[in-house]
Parts: sequence; C-alpha cells; structure tokens
Amino acid sequence: MLVNRNASTQTTRFIIWPHLQPGTQRNMTEPRNSRLSTIPQTAPAHTDSASPAVEMDPVEYTLRKRLPRKLPKRRNDVYVNMKTDFRAQLARCQKLLEGGGHREICVHGLGLAINRAINIALQLQASSQGALQLAANTSTVELVDDLEPEDPEEAGEPMTRTRNNSAIHIKLLPLLRGWLYLSLSTLLTAASVQVNSVPHLSFAYTN
Amino acid sequence: MEPQPPSFSQNLQPASSKLGQSHFRRVSCTEESSHYPIPSTAADVLHMRVKEGSKIHNLLRLVTARLQEERRDSSGRSLRQVVFTGSGRGLTKTITCVEILKRKIGGLHQLNKLYYKTVNEVWENAQQGAPAVTVPKTVPAISILLSKDPLDPQEPGYQPPETQKSM
Repeated sequence: MLVNRNASTQTTRFIIWPHLQPGTQRNMTEPRNSRLSTIPQTAPAHTDSASPAVEMDPVEYTLRKRLPRKLPKRRNDVYVNMKTDFRAQLARCQKLLEGGGHREICVHGLGLAINRAINIALQLQASSQGALQLAANTSTVELVDDLEPEDPEEAGEPMTRTRNNSAIHIKLLPLLRGWLYLSLSTLLTAASVQVNSVPHLSFAYTN
Repeated sequence: MEPQPPSFSQNLQPASSKLGQSHFRRVSCTEESSHYPIPSTAADVLHMRVKEGSKIHNLLRLVTARLQEERRDSSGRSLRQVVFTGSGRGLTKTITCVEILKRKIGGLHQLNKLYYKTVNEVWENAQQGAPAVTVPKTVPAISILLSKDPLDPQEPGYQPPETQKSM
C-alpha cells in the first residue's frame, strides 16, 4: 500500500518544465504513450512508479504527471528547467540578447525552476551593467496527474488529479530603447500629429 | 546533515560548500538582511516575510483577516497594501502565497521586484572552540506588492488584476 512514499513526495515537488527543443519533447511524450498498454515495470527517468496513499483505498496507483500544456514559444522565449546545466542556460540567454534582432527576451520558470529563472535574469542584468530592465509577472499553472491502478485485477479506475503550481515570466528589456520609445510617443502626442499616423509609426517601431 | 542552502552565484559557490564539507560541522546561520526596493505609496503597509518554513495557511489567514477587517481604527481606512518578501528557498513559497491570495481576494494590483539580497552567514566550529567565520552570500529575492488601489502601469513588474479566469 504505502510503497515508496518518499519517492512520491520527492518527485511531486520537482516539477519539470519541458525544455522545448524537438529532441527532448519527443523523449517526454514517447514513454507516456507506451505505458498506457504495458504494465509499468521499468520506469523511465521522469515518471515514477510510486503509489501515493490514496485515502483509504488498498488499490495501488501509479502516479504519472502530465506535462504542462504547451505554450507558444517565440524565438525570444527561454524556458528554464532543472535538468539542463545552469551555465548552459545562462549562456543561451546571453547569446539571444547579444545576437540582436530581439528587443527583449522572456525567461519562464515553473515550480522549482522559478529560483533558477530569477537567478538567470539577475545575473544577466548584473553582467549587462545596467542596460537591462527586469519586469516580472507571476501566474498559476494547472498541472494534471494521472493515477492509474498498478494491478489490472484490482478494481480501481484511473483518476486524474489537478493541482496548481506557480510560474514566473521575466521580461528582460533593454533600458535605452524603452526610454526612446517612451520619449518618441510623448513627442508625437504633444505635437498633435494626426491620429491615424500614430499607430502606424508605433507599429513600424516595434517591428 | 547540515542545512546548506544552494547558492547559485558562481563566485560564491566554493566558499559555503567548502565550509560544509570541512571541519565546520556546527552551523549557526545568522542572517542580516538589507533593504527591499519596493516603492510603497500608502502609509501603513503590512509586510509579510515568507521564509522556507512558513506555513502558507497561517500567512494567508493573517493577511485575509487584516485585509478584510472593518474600519475600526482612528485613521478610518482598512489595510490597502501588503508586501510579501522572500528570498532563497522561500522564494517559490512567496509567489505561491501571492497567487493563492489573488485567487481568494480578486482585484488586487501587483508589482513584482526582483533583486539580490546579501546574507551574512556565521559558521562556527564545534571542535575548535570558536573561530566563527562569516560568509557573505548573495541570494535572489523577490518583493511583491499587492494593493487594492491601482498602481502605476508603466512601472516594470506591474501586473494588473485578472479580470476573467484565464485557465
């Protein structure tokens, strides 16, 4: 009944945000589909075969976390996770910033990766010598766990459990450009330019 | 096992890990905190310090009680603003606390500020008397201001209250 209690609580805490590159995404979705048919004997790395003590049921369940729903990833979005090396993620963000072409980059973190995302953002700000501005937004993400009975003979039905987790989204904006945009917009409004030309100009600037 | 908080700052990582592995068994971590850069506009602000061992339920009970109390005091206004600060391991808990509070009490304007906090840890050695070593460490920290009154939307880190259920 109470098998691997420690493992279940330990892995429940570490929520992994999928690093949205084609390779890892394939890895993560594959075992999920394959385990639907087989009895889980060998557990892949990110799923655990622990059975959480479901209130009074003697039925053993396999806890499987579903991935958070896939969010659209633009070119300047960086999703931080706990698997990849910290320095590698930092270097990747640095490259995106210096590569130009993006006004701002957005660093996302879910659950335990919030710490790491904030650290990356602060390190980038420190190394840019004050040319970067941070803007942080928080949100709640719903995660769904699948509970499947381990023994097909025992009459247990697969349940799903929903829980919430916190996420953070940090925008790194270059300071100078932001100021420039603000001054430009105030100049235009003060000079009473025609209304239909103003949105055209702002659209051209953001492009 | 000594509680050794992971320090992500690259240059300070060897110091505390070295102390943890060498003869300095006894840990007495006293911290000294620095400022928190949140521009609070109201006169009275409830400041909630969220640590790693804080119980979210207890924190929220206090905050909801203070935010929803009637105007009984002489100043005539109930509490309008709350600041949550957390650092290091309590950082995620701070954000979770704020999210749960926003769900309970809607219409709160939010302002997030990220900064580095310097913490001085004092490590003692139980074996050799008392050569106490002070290790300065920088940990990431967050300050979140929640207010019933509208805040400046141009401020970086401003987040408007959710009007509809996004999930």
